[in-house]
Amino acid sequence: MNLAIDWIARNWQAVIIPGAVFAAALMASFWLRTIVYKRVDRWVRKTSRKVDDILVSVTRGPSALWCVLISAYLALAVSNMPQPWKIPAGRIMGSLLTVSIALTINGLARETLGFYGERWKLSHGSLTLAKNVARSTLAVLAVLTMLDIWGLPLTSILVVLLLVALVGVVVFRDAIADVFAGLQVTATGNVKAGDYVKLWSGEQGYVLDIGTRHARIKGLDESVTTVPNSRLTQSAVINYGQPLKKAKEPFRFYGRAQITELTGLRAKNLPGLVDILKQVPESVVYYHTHHFLVDHHYLTPEPTNDFGVWVADALGDEALGERLASVDMFEFTSLASLKERLVSIMEECLSRKGAGRDAPEGRDFYFLKSTSVIFSTPYVAHDLREFVEALRNVSQDSLYFHVFESRMRLGRGLNDFSNWIDQNLGEKDLADRIARFDPYTYTLGGLRSTLIQLIEKRIK
Amino acid sequence: MLRDYEPIVGKGTVEELRLLAGHLSGKVVQNVNSTFVGGGVAEILSRMVPLLNELGVDARWDVIKGNDPFFQVTKKFHNAIHGRSEDITTQDFEVFLETSKKNVQDLQLAGDIMFIHDPQPIALISRRKEVGKKWLWRCHIDVSQPSQQVWKFLHPYVIKYDAAVFSAPSFSQTLPIRQFLISPSIDPLSDKNRELSDDVVVAVLSKYKISRDKPIITQVSRFDYLKDPVGVIQAFKLVKRTIDCRLVLAGGTASDDPEGDKVLAEVNTAANGDPDIHVLLVPPNSDTDINALQRGSTIVLQKSIREGFGLTVSEALWKAKPVVASAVGGIPLQVKNKFTGLLSHGVEGTAFALKQLLTNPEYAAQLGKNGREHVRQNFLITRHIKDYLLLFLAVEHAGDIMHL
Repeated sequence: MNLAIDWIARNWQAVIIPGAVFAAALMASFWLRTIVYKRVDRWVRKTSRKVDDILVSVTRGPSALWCVLISAYLALAVSNMPQPWKIPAGRIMGSLLTVSIALTINGLARETLGFYGERWKLSHGSLTLAKNVARSTLAVLAVLTMLDIWGLPLTSILVVLLLVALVGVVVFRDAIADVFAGLQVTATGNVKAGDYVKLWSGEQGYVLDIGTRHARIKGLDESVTTVPNSRLTQSAVINYGQPLKKAKEPFRFYGRAQITELTGLRAKNLPGLVDILKQVPESVVYYHTHHFLVDHHYLTPEPTNDFGVWVADALGDEALGERLASVDMFEFTSLASLKERLVSIMEECLSRKGAGRDAPEGRDFYFLKSTSVIFSTPYVAHDLREFVEALRNVSQDSLYFHVFESRMRLGRGLNDFSNWIDQNLGEKDLADRIARFDPYTYTLGGLRSTLIQLIEKRIK
Repeated sequence: MLRDYEPIVGKGTVEELRLLAGHLSGKVVQNVNSTFVGGGVAEILSRMVPLLNELGVDARWDVIKGNDPFFQVTKKFHNAIHGRSEDITTQDFEVFLETSKKNVQDLQLAGDIMFIHDPQPIALISRRKEVGKKWLWRCHIDVSQPSQQVWKFLHPYVIKYDAAVFSAPSFSQTLPIRQFLISPSIDPLSDKNRELSDDVVVAVLSKYKISRDKPIITQVSRFDYLKDPVGVIQAFKLVKRTIDCRLVLAGGTASDDPEGDKVLAEVNTAANGDPDIHVLLVPPNSDTDINALQRGSTIVLQKSIREGFGLTVSEALWKAKPVVASAVGGIPLQVKNKFTGLLSHGVEGTAFALKQLLTNPEYAAQLGKNGREHVRQNFLITRHIKDYLLLFLAVEHAGDIMHL
């Protein structure tokens, strides 16, 4: 004790001067801090930016420590402590200040990201990743600063770090691109969960969510496709926006294929044609009045039937051929009534003009029959947007089935599209407009385009 | 590979095949014919079976065994079914029965669906009680006007099958079993039909010394009276009165056809040394040459008097060539008059149709374009596979509408 008192007595200047400098600097810095925070508080109260509040609340505590450290550093600077002690002491203080500043900036970044992440609806994964990136960057910078303070060789460490970073960028370039694309997409709000999108690369459907690296899209076949976020920014994206009114029951598209059966029946002249036509099942009438639509859908919208063509070409009766060919099939919703009409036209002609000539050799009329195979396709629509997109993609056979076969052969009286749109979406006007179309006057390609245009117009 | 057909027929068509094939999973389809090589049936099966397997259908292919006398008899049957006069003796029928009996005993049959092609293996139906759930007879030939002697012999076998399959309505017979209509097809990736560069076309035309300095009319078919090559020359001469053009008659003679050389001699006489008439005896297996000759033509002609299905017409249509053809056999199924080509009936009509197309290239191009689409939709191998899948499904169900 006496030794210490003796030392202080001998070196009172070495203690009192730094102590006085420390006390003065501490008071001055705290006074300055109080004034600054008072003014900043007043300014913050006037603004509505959340980031100001965060800045004040995060720095308030650490700033006291900074005042202490700065005061201590000044005291150290004026002290006559021996150099071997003075230098490490200064470095310890510098290191403490660096750690404190790094922690403060990290807190600031965390709070800011948390606030804006919520506002921009960033996914939990993206947010965590962004916070981790900020934390790691600050840690690296803090460590580098401290190494500099302690006088270690920084250049070689920086080169190594740079190389590691470069290798990382090369190896994980796709992942990095996807991460940044995810941040970009969510920040700009161009695509959001719930939007209906169509990517240039072919994927389409409702966006379920946008994650750190991938977005999930629910397609028209109800499958969920995972696409890299970079595809949302790098390729053209059509965004149709939020879902439309949901149907009570989804519309499932069916496909249809046909195999042709031979009946073994054939006619050589008009009386034979009428006699056999009266006996054959409806599947024969269906074949000869509808196969042209399927076989030649790309060719012509001419609503023809085999009876009319044969009578004109093989029997040479163009007038009767024209009458048979021009029977308006859209008037009929059952094959029985269509058959009755065809028979009545032929019989009326027979009674007026007689049997007429026989067909030339090899030109007999062969009665064929259609056997339909109906199967479900992966396409399902829950609203008009999904419906119109599925309509673009389904096969011509599927379109044919829902418009022609279901109405005429399955006896539903109306095409399937109108039925569904009316009963499940309550869009009576649109349903009626589609029902009023005479599909027999279109090619299947033309019919598809017309339906798409009509529905697009409604949903825009 | 099925994927190779996607750019041609569309992804949807191939997807549909996969969908249908899925309903045949677990079923074994056993094809049986008389040869692995040579002839149209072997050619179709060699392409079809691997594609069916790729779709997941367990399709197998076996052939019956037979000695020379057996195949001589079946050749006679073939000619007689086509209406040609043949001297068929009781001994011939015995040879057929004897070999058939051996095959019935020896052949490993294990299909759920037995798909028997043409008359040669027809007697295998004798094993229907023990093998197979459904037996189908695929008749690739025209049996509409057969020799009654042969048809009466085959008929008892035919009617034991669950169903018969014909290539055209006019090829069929009245039968008490179900009959399906399945047209044959061409393979767009085969040498005969694949796309060729203009360099190849020019090289082939040069090889046969054909200049492209004027329009080229081509008929590809063997030298046979039924293909009316002399009628083709007559029609060409009528056209040439007003339009300068060339005629190419390209084909071979069947080795078993004694008339071939005679017809060729008559054709050369009719050509009378005209430098614009090129009579080409094309060796067998010259599919790329035939492809190039069709592609290098302005118009393709098929002036047959009688015809089977006439797939040379589909080949020309696939190459978007305007086609003039006779309304016989399966041709009217391929050429819808004034939509996908022009149908004619005689020499004058053929000449008139040729002149119409030569003087109206835009009209000709439109017919060619329609023709190519018609083939794409109806006469490519993918449609053929689809029909077979539907057949295998339909034969298991009665009724006109089947829900899978």
